[in-house]
Amino acid sequence: MLKIENLSVSYGSRSVLANVSLEVNSGEVLALIGPNGAGKSTLVRAASGVVPVEAGAVRTNGDDLLSLPPLQRARFLAVVPQAASLPPAFSVWETVLLGRTPYLNFLGQVSAKDEEISRSALAKVDVLELASRRVGELSGGEQQRVLLARALAQSTPILLLDEPTTNLDLHYQIGFLETVRTLAHADGLAVLIALHDLNLAAHYADRIALLVGGKIKAAGMPRQVLTPELISEAYHLPVRVVQHPFADVPLVLPEK
Amino acid sequence: MSRRILPYLWTLLFLALAALLSVAIGSVFIPLADLWRVLTGQPPQTVSAAATIIFELRLPRTVLVLLTGAALSGSGAAYQGLFRNPLADPYLIGVASGAGLGAILAMSVHWPYSFWGLMAVPAAAFVGALLTVFIVYSLARLGKTVPTTNLILAGVAFSSFATAVTSFLMLRSTGELRRAIAWMLGGASQAGWGPVLSILPYLAIGLGILLLNGHALNLLQFGDDQAQQLGLHVTRTRTLLLVAASLATAAAVSFSGTIGFVGLIVPHIMRLWFGADYRRLLPLSLIAGAGTLLLADVLARSVLAPQELPVGIVTAIAGAPFFLWVLRRAKNQGYW
Amino acid sequence: MFRKLFFAFLTIMLLAACGSTLSVTPSPTAAQIPTATALPTSPSLALTDGLNRSVTLPGPAQRVVSLAPSNTEILFAVGAGAQVVGRDSFSDYPAEAKSAQDVGGSMGKYDSEAIVALHPDLVLAGEINTPEQVSSLEQLGLTVYYLKNPVTLEEMYANVETVGSLTGHADQARTLVDSLKTRVAAVDAVIAPLDSRPTVYYELDASDPTKPYTAGPGTFVDLLISRAGGQNIGNSLTSQWAQISLEQLVVANPSIIVLGDSAYGMTPDSVKARTGWGGLAAVQSGQIYPFDDNLVSRPGPRLVDGLEALAKLLHPGAFK
Repeated sequence: MLKIENLSVSYGSRSVLANVSLEVNSGEVLALIGPNGAGKSTLVRAASGVVPVEAGAVRTNGDDLLSLPPLQRARFLAVVPQAASLPPAFSVWETVLLGRTPYLNFLGQVSAKDEEISRSALAKVDVLELASRRVGELSGGEQQRVLLARALAQSTPILLLDEPTTNLDLHYQIGFLETVRTLAHADGLAVLIALHDLNLAAHYADRIALLVGGKIKAAGMPRQVLTPELISEAYHLPVRVVQHPFADVPLVLPEK
Repeated sequence: MSRRILPYLWTLLFLALAALLSVAIGSVFIPLADLWRVLTGQPPQTVSAAATIIFELRLPRTVLVLLTGAALSGSGAAYQGLFRNPLADPYLIGVASGAGLGAILAMSVHWPYSFWGLMAVPAAAFVGALLTVFIVYSLARLGKTVPTTNLILAGVAFSSFATAVTSFLMLRSTGELRRAIAWMLGGASQAGWGPVLSILPYLAIGLGILLLNGHALNLLQFGDDQAQQLGLHVTRTRTLLLVAASLATAAAVSFSGTIGFVGLIVPHIMRLWFGADYRRLLPLSLIAGAGTLLLADVLARSVLAPQELPVGIVTAIAGAPFFLWVLRRAKNQGYW
Repeated sequence: MFRKLFFAFLTIMLLAACGSTLSVTPSPTAAQIPTATALPTSPSLALTDGLNRSVTLPGPAQRVVSLAPSNTEILFAVGAGAQVVGRDSFSDYPAEAKSAQDVGGSMGKYDSEAIVALHPDLVLAGEINTPEQVSSLEQLGLTVYYLKNPVTLEEMYANVETVGSLTGHADQARTLVDSLKTRVAAVDAVIAPLDSRPTVYYELDASDPTKPYTAGPGTFVDLLISRAGGQNIGNSLTSQWAQISLEQLVVANPSIIVLGDSAYGMTPDSVKARTGWGGLAAVQSGQIYPFDDNLVSRPGPRLVDGLEALAKLLHPGAFK
């Protein structure tokens, strides 16, 4: 499980995250929603140790991941970034093998086990047949899947995803989130996924947290967070929430 | 398997041929039979000075050029990876201008004709190069991080400053100007094994560290955030690689002067032909860089013999069109 | 951490430099070519050269490689021309010198292999050569004598006598020096009683006519102009190869212009055509003379030719 405790981050004198606490259980997908600038990306970056935090801890089984050196931390927590500007010359296979970094010896040698794990990670996200292609030749959706495979190759109990579907078309968005949810449930991963599409969040998340101005405004079941009051206030836009016509989830519609 | 080994076979074959040419070709023609006799310790039959020419001139020079080419090309590949910038070359953060300034400062003193007097210029060039990198690094540092753009800007600015001071000193100098120009064009190369032995320790350390960090350079290509999320201590690794590449470049520059283009072109050609994986790109760049500079040096010595061209002119004149040709017919567009 | 690493590497560097030694003892060449000309055995020579190195020769050098045009000129002038087996690319005087093998020298690079293959028993280097080059040749087992550039005529005479001793032509060298001294004294005798000391601008390079290069203090050009009864306007500058602005030149207003760059195509007409030069006294009076720069830039016996030529240019009336 992932436990974020009282995390605070400032850029200079500007507070970006204030006392953020969240819990994601193993086998659960928590969607982090919120308007642009709410601090979703910063939360992912701070929790993964690339942004210095003022206060707070990120724990799994009691250890504070932020106090560990990067190599140790990467055995507990993997991040799927947005697939923008990947170095195009690397092959898919080379890219996915990088997920094994925390387990390599100091010579950087890849063992047969590392290759086996990387291969199965590619298979899990359905891109094994792309292994020898160059990353630059892939579509945005394929690239995003390769990055997911790389994170899976890291064999971590925790997975953070930073708006992974932003640049994908609808078909790829659905397929990608479908895969993430299946993996979380099947492999018992604790998944925190920043999303800006509220209805995708409603559809694929077990729970939702609403981040506004660096603070958690609400967290809970989709129905508890996606209320007209909370969403209208957070996005400064009157919305109506209706029952999805053929699924058991709420559907957020702007009033205009 | 063969796909992994073939690039090494090709580049090693190229290096072996270049080294052979470098030992076999010179302004004095030594027949292959004599070359063989001398190398196997028998007296030569036709050219009486063959042993001196081969053992005291050609072999040490071949080894020095080989090491210099490997150092420039290897650190060029590393710099391009460190800065994620295809235009980066081994001199990006001031090694060349620092070495030049050090050399000129040493030349402004009249050293006695002794071992130390002769070592003063390469030693000062070496120290000047490392000092420059150190200053640039300190200037670019922001707290615990060293942003690449800061590093490049500080490097370019400080290089201009050092180059200007060098030019000023050269204009002010009276007698040693000729020596300064000779250094700029071709370093302070001396015959014999002294230069090779002096730079070998630094090259071994610098290039050794680079070779061990191919995986880290791969990670850095994905940006600092991803590299760190995948488990790399980014700041520490970058500093280590920067020191290693600068050390190798500084050692190479101290005796050979600043030779352009090898450090830029060879890694790019290797990347185009054999892919971007630094675990392979670094050793291949070392081998191919050594071979390329050897070939350029053979040309520099033989095209206008007995005149000898500065090797940097050959690398640029022959290297640039070749590189453009390779670039034009490259099928994989996004090779970088 | 960087700081620590940096100093660690510096320490290693110093240690390594101490560890490796540059052999300065000559190693024997593969085969020595026996000297064909059997001269009467002379005592071995021991001299100290311009780098404070002591140079020992078993006897007068019979196979000499000259690495500077001035050295070549001295060698031929003292009668050692037949012993010159190699010369640098710029040695073009006297004409016979060109038949010796060219061993390079452009851009400061010499062809060591060719030098070794000539089996010289003496390499005569000059200030045009760097200490590194001297050391390299020495390491190849060659005997190198470094002839320092003279700064006075007396030092030039000494160089001539040194080259004479090195090559077994000491007597001829002494005779040559005596005749040079006589010729200089003759010039002095003509110039001394004259009152006029015309101002002279000696042009080395005017690729940019707004700031051309001229010869500064401490050069033979400067010395010979004053000895020939003129005032070198470059004397007030600081460096030897000195840049002078057109403004300074206009203020100095030389009455005579000597074109040391005539070999590069400069002519009196091209000087007259330069913008801003029309007001100079020398241009208005037409006293612009092409000049063979080799007579004053190569520190050998031809400096005296240069002195005589300059004296005739500056005081044509006094030499009839």
